[in-house]
Amino acid sequence: MPMFEVLTPLSVLLCLFGVLIGIIMGSIPGMTATMAIAIFLPATYALDMINSIGLLIGLYVGGISGGMVPAVLLNIPGTPSSLCTTFDGYPMTQNGEGEKALKVGITASIIGGFVSLSILFFFAPVLASFAIDFSAVDKFLIVVFALTVIASISKGSLLGGVFSGVLGVFISLIGRFPDNNQIRLVPPGFEQELVYGFSLLPVLIGLFAIGQNLQESEEGLVAASHQKIDLAKNKAKQFKFRIFKGQFVNTVRSSIIGTFVGMLPGVGGSAASITSYSQAKNFSKNPEKLGKGEPEGMIASESANNGLIGGALVPLLSLGIPGDSTTAILVGAFLLQGIEVGPLFITTNPDLWSGIVFALVIANIAMFIMMFFSIKYFAKIVYIPKHIIFPIIMLMCVVGSYAINNGVMFDVWTLLLFGLVGYIFPKVGIQIAPFLIGFILGTQGEKYFIDSLKGSGGDLTVFFTDGPLAIGLWVVIIVSVVYAVIDNRRTKKAESAS
Amino acid sequence: MKKTMYILMAALLGILLAACGESSGSEETAGSGETSAEKGGGSGEAALDLSRMRVVIGSTSTGGDTYQNAEAVSRYAEDILNTNMQVDAVGGVQAFDALSSASNDGSTVMFFHDMAYLGVEYGSFDQSNKLENYTIGPMVSTNPGNAFLASADAPYDSMAESAEWLSSNPNEEITVAIQAGGVSEIVFNGYYLWVQEEYGEEVSNRIKAYVTGSQQDKDQALWDDNADIIHGSIGANNQYTKDGVEDQVKMKFLGITAGERVEGFDIPTLAEQGITVGGEEFTFDKEFFFLLPKDVNENVVTALDNAVSQVVENEDYQSDLNNNAYTPNYMPSDEAEEYLLDKRETMRSIIERAPDLNNIAQ
Repeated sequence: MPMFEVLTPLSVLLCLFGVLIGIIMGSIPGMTATMAIAIFLPATYALDMINSIGLLIGLYVGGISGGMVPAVLLNIPGTPSSLCTTFDGYPMTQNGEGEKALKVGITASIIGGFVSLSILFFFAPVLASFAIDFSAVDKFLIVVFALTVIASISKGSLLGGVFSGVLGVFISLIGRFPDNNQIRLVPPGFEQELVYGFSLLPVLIGLFAIGQNLQESEEGLVAASHQKIDLAKNKAKQFKFRIFKGQFVNTVRSSIIGTFVGMLPGVGGSAASITSYSQAKNFSKNPEKLGKGEPEGMIASESANNGLIGGALVPLLSLGIPGDSTTAILVGAFLLQGIEVGPLFITTNPDLWSGIVFALVIANIAMFIMMFFSIKYFAKIVYIPKHIIFPIIMLMCVVGSYAINNGVMFDVWTLLLFGLVGYIFPKVGIQIAPFLIGFILGTQGEKYFIDSLKGSGGDLTVFFTDGPLAIGLWVVIIVSVVYAVIDNRRTKKAESAS
Repeated sequence: MKKTMYILMAALLGILLAACGESSGSEETAGSGETSAEKGGGSGEAALDLSRMRVVIGSTSTGGDTYQNAEAVSRYAEDILNTNMQVDAVGGVQAFDALSSASNDGSTVMFFHDMAYLGVEYGSFDQSNKLENYTIGPMVSTNPGNAFLASADAPYDSMAESAEWLSSNPNEEITVAIQAGGVSEIVFNGYYLWVQEEYGEEVSNRIKAYVTGSQQDKDQALWDDNADIIHGSIGANNQYTKDGVEDQVKMKFLGITAGERVEGFDIPTLAEQGITVGGEEFTFDKEFFFLLPKDVNENVVTALDNAVSQVVENEDYQSDLNNNAYTPNYMPSDEAEEYLLDKRETMRSIIERAPDLNNIAQ
């Protein structure tokens, strides 16, 4: 079906507008693609479905992609799925390669976007059936597999990293246990505020943005070394598409992992980029360089988190099951228009299905053009003096935290509390990234662990006897952990030798 | 360069603040003036002197029936009330919290359904949130589609047949996937008590609960064979019952809990199937209503009553609701209060006799 028979000029314009607003909102710490879509949801009622789809898909693609900007330039993940982007993106910025890192990320993003779009277009119904075959046991093991990245990214001390991760899991369990509505691990007097536990976004940006803000404020108004680098004179620090030479396998593998994990309902986008980063490190020829400013790590994280867009749409459009929180809001947009998203959606709404696919094509291309050619201006953010940029970041974080759950003041206190935690933890040897990964994956891990036990009548052997998929997942978990331990020992030996 | 940077920053901050205002609808911007009837632009007694009315809902989802019903009534009522109504999906506890600290001018109101009092009865919400501590506003609409479903190949076609099947197969169990502490638990309790009364404890003891969360979790429990029956709704599950759906995900309705059949759907009610509790037909309609602060200005209640009474007459509104199988169900505040307190008493008597989920959960 020709693209412009389906999409109206208005829908294309709205898609472009959505991408622009999405990029801006994704770039602001504390604002996410989910939030961008939620804000524009009521506005879609005045539009017909195809125009609404243009706008919402644009916001989705733009919002996910925009998250890399603060992750790379300021070490603040704009969205949870940009967490792994900070691991190599920010070190590149510190090395004067901020613009290069962003361009690597943007290029990886469009590749990830198109790989997942192709998978969505050609295999959606088949893969959706495959996705619901994943039992609670399989999903639990995927979460465990994602958690093994903690072992890979622990800097200096493997044990310290694991401790930080476990602490993150523990904090994530604070609040009400939904199966019996019992409040647990909540300090007396905070039962009302912590009934749903700590919100992810304020914790994320508190740990990174506020923590770093305090850390750098402690160092005074001295310009950081990377703020003095003159990019124009240093061609080695400029982006070239040649960087992707030798990264074909990494890019495609990460895009597929992103699509696949995004496809699993309830597992979520953060797990997609974390799993993909973990695999990039395991398969890398130079694993010791990842985390220190390697484009390879950027490629893994960014191709995966754009890959998850197409992935999350697979179960949504084939079965009516949202793959993540953002697609859950898209369901709302369909329902507002009286359109039922379910197993017959594609066959009964061929125009709309084509419209979604075409909107994804346009949004990905628009995202690439808008970001690739304007990023040099964004990259200048690093040159803004600290006394100007820090208050702005602080304001954005506070406003974003307040707005994330539609105006809950406790989220602002959460932001500030975890800001303090983000400042203190590194000083006492607790690593932030493993802590956060534990926090992000903790509740999911618990849910699928409990669901597995409910399904098996409390039989713990179910984790080993559930089927060939579970066995396969155990194998990759063990390989990943063993590899990380060996890598850790090798790095320690190399350090002591030097 | 510096100038460009400052302009860029200013633009970013502008968007940020606009977005925040859009999504949060804070009370500070909601206008602090006294409410007044008879203000121009609105419709007689229905107008309010508020620049914005924040409608907090008891769900965090923007895809669920609470959001859809709140959004629809707000979209039509805001013109009549001469204000901007902003629906914020903050969740039950946060919505009660916002309502408890709201001013009496109507700038923050809550929109929710029967879970508002069932949650208190089941202990999901604190006792301080009981209905007596708020002003009950007008009843707005009903979701009559509360239903039970099973896999398409299940050996029974209705809830009554499921009990019959259980009785004839003494080595079998039936597991029902529900969410604890709300509408899904009360309708499960109704079914369980009926089986207990009709077939005795030997049969009812073989009914187990698979306690889980969202509708998606309940659907997945059915597909994973962790549950035999799930609680669902016409709106959310009808898509899986149509011809052409693959066997792997295909479901069938076993009955709806509403008092009457839903037009356009051939699904029997539980009452039609002879399901009773304590000798009375067991029916449960999921009804949506407003809750207001305890000391809210009387003018706000009057204005909201008038606005909702006009909205439900609007054919466009009716059509919007019908799109998702919801029905308008207006009841003015005073009647809604009496009705809901009575309904709570009935449900309370069921809850008191129902088994503890901890004892029957898998």
